[in-house]
Amino acid sequence: MGTLYLLIPLAPLLGAILAGFFGKQLGRKGAHFVTSGLVAFSFILSVIAFMQMDANEVYNQTVYQWAVIDNIKMEVGFLVDHLTIMMMLVVTFVSLMVHIYTIGYMHDDPGYQRFFSYISLFTFSMLMLVMSNNFLQLFFGWEAVGLVSYLLIGFWYKKDTAIYANMKAFLVNRVGDFGFLLGIGVIVIYANSLDYITVFERLGVAMGGDNNMLPLDALTQAWGLNHQDMIALLLFIGAMGKSAQVPLHVWLPDSMEGPTPISALIHAATMVTAGIFMVSRLSPIFELSDTVLNFILIIGATTAFFMGLIGIIQNDIKRVVAYSTLSQLGYMVVALGASAYSAAVFHLMTHAFFKALLFLAAGSVIIAMHHEQDIRKMGGLKRHMPITYWTSLVGSLALIGIPGFAGFFSKDAIIEAVHASTLPAAGYAYFMVLLGVFVTAFYSFRMFFLVFHGDERMDDHTLHHLHESPKVVTIPLILLAIPSVIAGYFIGTMVMGDFFNQVTLLPKAEHLHQVTTIMVDHERHPAMEVLREEYHGIFSFIFHGMIALPFWLALAGVGAAWYIYMKDDSIADWFYNRFQWLYKILDNKYYFDTFNQKFFANGSLNLGTAFWTFDKTIIDGLFVNGVAKMTGWTARLLSHFQTGYLYHYVMAMALGVGFLMAWLFMALSA
Amino acid sequence: MTFVQFLFNIYAGITIAAAIGVVTVRNSVYAALCLILTFFSSAAIWILLEAEFLGIVLVLVYVGAVMVLFLFVIMMLDINREQLVERFIKYLPAGIAVAVIIAIEMIVVIQRSAFDTSEQYKAVAQNAPDYNNTEALGELLYTQYLYPFEIAAVVLLVAIIAAIMLTLRKRAVNVRSQDIEKQLRVRPEDRVRLVKMKSGQ
Amino acid sequence: MMSAFEIARPEIFLLIAACVVLLLDLFVGKNARVVTYLATQASLLTTALLIYSSSFNQEMKVVGLDRMYVLDELAGFLKISIVGFAMLSFIYARKYLRDQNLWRGEFFVLGMTSVLGMLIMSSGYNLLVLYLGLEVLSLSMYALVALHRDNGKAIEAAMKYFILGAVGSGMLLYGMSLLYGISGGLGVDHLSTFFNAQPANDVKVLFALTFIVAGLAFKLGAVPFHMWLPDVYQGAPTAVTLFLGSAPKVAAFALVMRILAEGLGSVEESWSQMLMVLGLLSIIVGNLFAVAQHNMKRMLAYSTISHMGFIIMGVITSSHIGYSAAMFYVVTYALMSAAAFALLILLSRTGYEAETLDDLKGLNERSPWLAFLVMLMMLSMMGFPLTVGFYSKLAVIQAVVGKELVWPAVIMVVMSVVGAFYYLRVLKLMYFEKPADNTTIDVGIDFYGVLSVNSLLLLGLGVFPGGLMALCSAVLSASQL
Repeated sequence: MGTLYLLIPLAPLLGAILAGFFGKQLGRKGAHFVTSGLVAFSFILSVIAFMQMDANEVYNQTVYQWAVIDNIKMEVGFLVDHLTIMMMLVVTFVSLMVHIYTIGYMHDDPGYQRFFSYISLFTFSMLMLVMSNNFLQLFFGWEAVGLVSYLLIGFWYKKDTAIYANMKAFLVNRVGDFGFLLGIGVIVIYANSLDYITVFERLGVAMGGDNNMLPLDALTQAWGLNHQDMIALLLFIGAMGKSAQVPLHVWLPDSMEGPTPISALIHAATMVTAGIFMVSRLSPIFELSDTVLNFILIIGATTAFFMGLIGIIQNDIKRVVAYSTLSQLGYMVVALGASAYSAAVFHLMTHAFFKALLFLAAGSVIIAMHHEQDIRKMGGLKRHMPITYWTSLVGSLALIGIPGFAGFFSKDAIIEAVHASTLPAAGYAYFMVLLGVFVTAFYSFRMFFLVFHGDERMDDHTLHHLHESPKVVTIPLILLAIPSVIAGYFIGTMVMGDFFNQVTLLPKAEHLHQVTTIMVDHERHPAMEVLREEYHGIFSFIFHGMIALPFWLALAGVGAAWYIYMKDDSIADWFYNRFQWLYKILDNKYYFDTFNQKFFANGSLNLGTAFWTFDKTIIDGLFVNGVAKMTGWTARLLSHFQTGYLYHYVMAMALGVGFLMAWLFMALSA
Repeated sequence: MTFVQFLFNIYAGITIAAAIGVVTVRNSVYAALCLILTFFSSAAIWILLEAEFLGIVLVLVYVGAVMVLFLFVIMMLDINREQLVERFIKYLPAGIAVAVIIAIEMIVVIQRSAFDTSEQYKAVAQNAPDYNNTEALGELLYTQYLYPFEIAAVVLLVAIIAAIMLTLRKRAVNVRSQDIEKQLRVRPEDRVRLVKMKSGQ
Repeated sequence: MMSAFEIARPEIFLLIAACVVLLLDLFVGKNARVVTYLATQASLLTTALLIYSSSFNQEMKVVGLDRMYVLDELAGFLKISIVGFAMLSFIYARKYLRDQNLWRGEFFVLGMTSVLGMLIMSSGYNLLVLYLGLEVLSLSMYALVALHRDNGKAIEAAMKYFILGAVGSGMLLYGMSLLYGISGGLGVDHLSTFFNAQPANDVKVLFALTFIVAGLAFKLGAVPFHMWLPDVYQGAPTAVTLFLGSAPKVAAFALVMRILAEGLGSVEESWSQMLMVLGLLSIIVGNLFAVAQHNMKRMLAYSTISHMGFIIMGVITSSHIGYSAAMFYVVTYALMSAAAFALLILLSRTGYEAETLDDLKGLNERSPWLAFLVMLMMLSMMGFPLTVGFYSKLAVIQAVVGKELVWPAVIMVVMSVVGAFYYLRVLKLMYFEKPADNTTIDVGIDFYGVLSVNSLLLLGLGVFPGGLMALCSAVLSASQL
C-alpha cells in the first residue's frame, strides 16, 4: 500500500518536472500528453486505493525521516483514511478534467508547457497536503499550493493587473500563513511533536486537567483563552487566509486575473478548500474550543451572506462565480463551526464538482466571446452553445440547491446542522445562511439568464463567429456535470453514516484511546447527532427538502432574477436609483480593499518610510556601513599579518603557541 | 658532579652557544660552521649516552655530507648581506619579545612539575661493557619498528621524486651535448671538403 | 599462514603501484600519457577495493605490525573516502593539466604517494607512524604545489608551505616527544590506558597538548596557524588546490581523531578548551576575511578556514554525536570543495586561468545549467536548507548546543550569516551581471557529467542526509568513539 500511496503524489511531480525542465524537448503535444497522462495515472491509482481500502484500518506510516531535532521528528509520512481518500479522488479527478480542458483553452498560449508544469506541480502539492500525517508536511503542502497559486495568478506576467493580483494574493495569504505557522509553533510547544495522532493525544491529555504551566499560558490566560483556544484560533486564521474568509477574502476575486482553468482548479475546487480540509482533519483540536467554534460560525456566516450580495452587482462573468465561491466557502466554514465537519467536507466535494463545472463553462463562454468577460455584452448563447448551456444549467441548479442535485444535499445538511447547533452564534449563522440561499439563487440565475437567454448584445463580428467550444473543452464539462448531479446521493454514507468514523487506536495513550477520522464531542455539539436521528433515507430527505424553507427561498431567487432581468428591467433601474448607497457599498465591496489600501498599504508604506529613515541613518549609517567600515578596518589591521612574508607567518604561529600557553596558565590558575 | 655530568654540561653549553651563533652571526659561512659545531657537540652528547652509532652517523652524514654541500651552496650564492642585516635588526625586538615570552612560559610550566625521572629513564645509561649500540638499534629497527622504518624509506623516495621533478629539465635548445649515434654515422664527405688548388698561387 | 604485513595490503599495494606508474610513465610518450592517468585511477580503485575487503568484516578493531597499525571501521570509512576523493580530484585535474601544459606523470605519482601518506595516517596506531604518514603526505604536497615550477607564485607558495609545514611538524613532533616523556610510550592505545589513570589538567600533559594542538591546528588550517592556507590555495595550480582541499582534510580529521579522541580522549577537558578557541577564531576570521576577497581561490581558502572551524567545533564536544557530526561535515565539505574548484578548472582554458570572481559574471547567460550547479555549491557552503551544507552545520551546532555551549553556538550561527554574504555575492554575479567574456564553455562530457553528479549530490544528500549520517554514526560506534 505504501508504494501505491507514494506513487500517487509523485506521478504529477514527475509530470511537472518533465514539462517544466524539458518543455522545449517535449514540445506542446508531448507536454500535455505527459502531464495529463501522469495525472490520469494518479487518479486511477487513487481509485484503486479507494477500492482496496480496508474500512476498519487507517494507514498511518512514515515514509522518510528527514531530521530529528530534540525529539521533534521532521518526516514525510502518509495518513490515509476516508477523508484523505475522498480529497485525493476530488483533487486528481478535477485536476485531470482541468488538464484536458487546458489543452483547448490554452491552445495558442506561448507559455503552454509552463502552464502544464504548474498545474501538475499544484496537483502534487495538494496531494502532499491532504495525505500528510504531520504538521510539517501539511505546512509544506500549504505553502507549495500557495506558491503555485501565486505563480498562476501572475501567469500572464506582462499584464499589470495580473501582477497586482498575485502580489495581493501573496500578501494576504502571508497574514493567514503567519497565523498558521504560529499555531503549529504553539502546538510544538505544548505537544512536543508534529505528528497528528500524537498531537491529538497529547492535547487531549492536557485538556484532562494536567495543569503544567508553560510560558505561553500566562499570555493566553491574560486574554481569557486557554491554550487549546489559542491553537485552534491560530490554525483557523491560517484557514481564513487560504479559504478566503472575511476579512482575508480580498485576494480571491482578484485572483480571477489568472487563466480560467486555474480559477476552476485552484480558486474554486481544491486549494481554497484546503482550509476546510485542514479544520476537518484537525477536528479533535477544534472540538476542544467552543470559543473558536463560535468565532468560526460568525466568520463563515458573514462570508456566506455578504459575499453573495456582492455577486449580485458584478458584471464580469468570472467574478460572479468567484463571489459565489466565497459565499459557498462561507457555507462550509459555517458547517465547521457547527461541528458538522462531515457536512462541510461533503459540501466541499459537491462544490468542487459543480463549481469547477461552472468555471469551466464560463471559460468556454469566454473563448466563444473572444475573451470578452462582461455579461452585459452577452446574451442568447443558448442557441450557439448547447452543451455549455445545459452543463451550466446543471451546475447552477446544483449550486442553488434544487432538490435532487448534488448541492441540495450538502447545503441542506449544513443548514439543518446550523439549525441544530447549540452554540450561541448559531442563531445569527442560521439566519445568514437562510438569506444566503435566496441571494445565491438570485445572482446565479441573473448571470445565467444574462449570458444564455435574452437578446444577443455582442457585436456583429463576435456574433458571426459564435460556435460551441471544441471537444477537449466540452468533454470535461460533461464529465463534471455527472457528479454534479449524482454526488449528492452519497449523503447517506458520508454525512449520516460512519464513513468518517474510521478509528485509529492509540495503544499507549492515557487520555484518548482512539481517534476517529472526524471527531465530534457529541455531548457539547449535538448538531450531527440530531441530523442523524432525523434522517430516514435519501427520498424522505429530498421530500423534506421540497417543503422546507430553503427550497422556496431558492425558487424565489430564481423567479426574482427571471422577472427583473428577463421581463422587466425597469425594476433593476429603480432599485439602482433608489438604493444608490447600497449599490455603492456593494460596488466597493464593503470598502475592504479601500480600507486595506489606505490603512495597511499606505500605513505600511509610511511605516516603511519611517523605518527607512531610521534604517538609512542608524542602521545603514551606524551599523551596516559602520560594521562594513569596521570589518574593512579590522581586515586591514589583520592583513598586516597576512603580508605574504614568511617570517610574519612564523611569528603568528609562535604567538599562537604563546597564546595557547597563556590559556594554559589561566586554566591552571582557575 | 661526576665526570660524565661535567662533560655533559660542557658539551651542552657548547651546543647552545653554537646554536645561538647560527642565528646571530652575520656571515653565512660562519653560520654554517657554527652549525657544524652544534652537530659535533650533539654527537658528543650522544656518545656520552652510549649511543655511539647515532653519534658517529651524525658526524658522518650531517657534518661530512650535508653541511659540506650546504657550504658549497652558500658560497655559490650571492647574498646581499646589507639587506639581510637591515631586516634582521628591524625585526629583532619583536622576535626577542616573542622568544622571551615563550621561553618564560616554558620555564614556568616545566618548573612547576618536573618530568618523571624515575626508574625507566635512569636505567638507560647502564649497560654491559659488551653492549653494542649499533646492533641494538638494528634489532629494533628491523623488528618492532619495521613499519615506521619502511615509511621513512617512502619519505625518502618521495623526496627524491620531488627533487628530480623540480630540478630536471630537458633543454631542447642551446645544449651542447654529444650525439654519439650521429658521430658514428658521420661520413667523410660531410666533414671534409677537398679543395683543389692551383699550385704557385 | 598470514604474514604480519598482510594487514597493510592496501598501503603496500599502493606503494608498489606508485613505483610501477613512475616507471611506466618513463616509457610512455607525451601523447600516450593518458596511460599513466588510467593506470593511476585503476590502482586507486584497486586500493579502494582492497580497503573495502579488509576493513569491514571485523567484529572489532584489529591491531597489527607490533601495534603500529589499526584496522577498524573508522579507518576503513575514512580511507575509502580519501581514495574516492583522490580519484575525483584526478578526474577533474586531467583537463586542467592538459590545458596548462602540466600534463606530466609526476603529478599522478606524487598524488599516489600523498594518498599513501593519508592511508598511513588513517590507520596509524602509533604517534611515530602517524607523524611519518603526515610527512609522506606533506612532502608530496609541497612538491605538487610547486608543480608549475616556472610560475613564481607557485614556487613562492610551495616555499611558504614547506617552511611553515616544517615549523608545524616541528611543533607536533615536540608535543609527541613530550607525550613520550610523560607516558613512556607512543602507541595510541598505550596513551589511552596511561591517561585513563592520570588526573585531568595535569600541567605537563597540558604543556604537551599545547604543542600537539598547535601542530594539528596547523595541519587543519585553524587560526592563527592558518596563514599558509590562502597563499598556498592561491599560488598552487588549481588542480592541486582541488586535491589539497578535499582528501587531505579527511586525513587531517583522521589524525585528529586518532590522537585526540582515541589516544587522549580521557583528558578531553584539557584540550577541548584550547581547541574550541581556535575553532571559534577560525570561524570568525575565515568568514570575515573571505568577505574582502576578490580572488575566488583565496575566498574559498578563507571559507575553508571557517569550515575547518566547524569541524573543530564538532570534535571539541568529544561526544559521539559531535564526532559523527564532524565526520559528516568533513566528508561533505570535501565534496563541496572539490566541486567548487572543479568549477574554476572548467572555466579555465589553455593560457587562461579563471580565478577571480569576475570570471563568474553572467554565468547564467553562458550556461544556465552550470550556473545552477554553482548555485547548489554556494548554497550548500552557505548552509542553505535542503542542501547538505545545512544539515552538516545543523548537526555540528546541535552537538555544540548539546554540550551546553550556547554562546559558541550563537557565534557560529552569526558568522554563518556573515558567510552567506560572500556566497550570495557569487550568485548575484552569476545571475544579475553581464558576462565579462563570452567564450563558449567547452569541456568533455565526462568532466561535465562528474561535476553535475558531484553538485547534485550536494542537493541529494541534503534532502536525504539520513543514510550518510547513520553510516558516520555506525562507523564511529564500531570504533568505540
